[in-house]
Amino acid sequence: MANPPHYLAHRKSWNSWNTSNVKDGNRPSETAVEDMFIRQFMRGTWHNLFVSEVIIKRQHNIIRIAGIITRSIAPYKIYFLTGYTEELLSYWLQCPIKIELVTTDSKKDVVFKYI
Amino acid sequence: MLSFRLRFKASLPQNLSKILKLFATRSNILETNSNESEQFRVLDLYPQTKVMQEKRKTRKTSIPPSRATNMPTDQDWPSVWPGARTFHPASVPLPLRQGYQEKGASPNKYANAELMKIPNFLHLTPPAIQRHCEALKQFCTKWPTVLENEEICSKHFPIEIISSDYCYSSPTIRDPLARIVNLQVKLSSLYLDTHAKDKLLRLLGNKYNPETDIITITADRCPLRKQNLEYAWYLLMAVYHESWRVESWEAEKSIADMEYFDWDTSQSRTSLVTLYTWPIPPTDYDYEIIPHATEYKIAVSDLINNGEDQYSVNKYKEAVKNLLNLKCDNKE
Repeated sequence: MANPPHYLAHRKSWNSWNTSNVKDGNRPSETAVEDMFIRQFMRGTWHNLFVSEVIIKRQHNIIRIAGIITRSIAPYKIYFLTGYTEELLSYWLQCPIKIELVTTDSKKDVVFKYI
Repeated sequence: MLSFRLRFKASLPQNLSKILKLFATRSNILETNSNESEQFRVLDLYPQTKVMQEKRKTRKTSIPPSRATNMPTDQDWPSVWPGARTFHPASVPLPLRQGYQEKGASPNKYANAELMKIPNFLHLTPPAIQRHCEALKQFCTKWPTVLENEEICSKHFPIEIISSDYCYSSPTIRDPLARIVNLQVKLSSLYLDTHAKDKLLRLLGNKYNPETDIITITADRCPLRKQNLEYAWYLLMAVYHESWRVESWEAEKSIADMEYFDWDTSQSRTSLVTLYTWPIPPTDYDYEIIPHATEYKIAVSDLINNGEDQYSVNKYKEAVKNLLNLKCDNKE
């Protein structure tokens, strides 16, 4: 996040990985809108928990949603939210969703630079 | 009243404006004068009881040490990481670093978003791929022993069908480009005579590649691959049978319509045979008995079909000399 977009592929990587934006890729607009929706949904559902960007990786028909969250809520709530998010998003987007999270103790673990 | 005052003084912050202070004091005085005995309500301009902000409790969950620290070195990795998955630092016992920092080394694997972004192939280690292959072997059949090399394969299976499948990272498996079917067949593998071959090449046009001797029929007009494949089969069959058919108007082709010089039907052959048997008129135009006639035939055909150049003219000259039994200088 500290790096501006022109450092993409130099210092940092893309947050969305899919084949829609390669040359002659299919359904680029649908993918972009779906990604926007997923990000909004994750931000609202996992409120104040994500300390990184929401990473959306598409692999065939699977959508993998990854990110780093803090351990500020009880583990059973995280399990519930994972199942809830997977169930609802797979119902809306009509494809399997996988939530793959990494937890960290505090928000400071992911801060590299203060602007 | 004194008590009130004291109380107010205690509650007043240091930087309070004078006007407010005065007002507060006066109101207290008025109230105390009217009825002293009763317990008065206190005008709390600055309430003492602070409403404590409920601070969100940071829950401390006891986290066991990461699994990567106590993994044995001879563990079965494909069962630890069986499928494609986002990188997880606690499951991968590798000291990986990824990302960029202004000063110092790249960030380590813990809480590293960059490592989670890039696709990994931790599930495709060589032992894992070997196991996949072993598992798939039961569904494979043995390669036929007769088909040893490419030539035998192309002899037994002369037709090649090429179509493409497309993989996308999206919920749809349809791609319009997957409908296109290429049917390739070698011209030499088709049973054709001279007329049929000539007609077939005329019908095919640029579908035939003379360098590789391959006919390519591309079908993409139908929406499905199966339909296109059937259409390609139909086209090959139609063009083959059409090339064998001799139409009535094809007999009307005269020498002027010929696209190449055919010595066997030419006036040159008739003249040669007539000349050879002169004065008796020839019964059949068989040129095989004439010495050097074949050489002459080739020389004339080359000269007319391939155009005049020094080589072909010299060849023609030698052929004529041999044919007419003239003395020729081979030393030259």
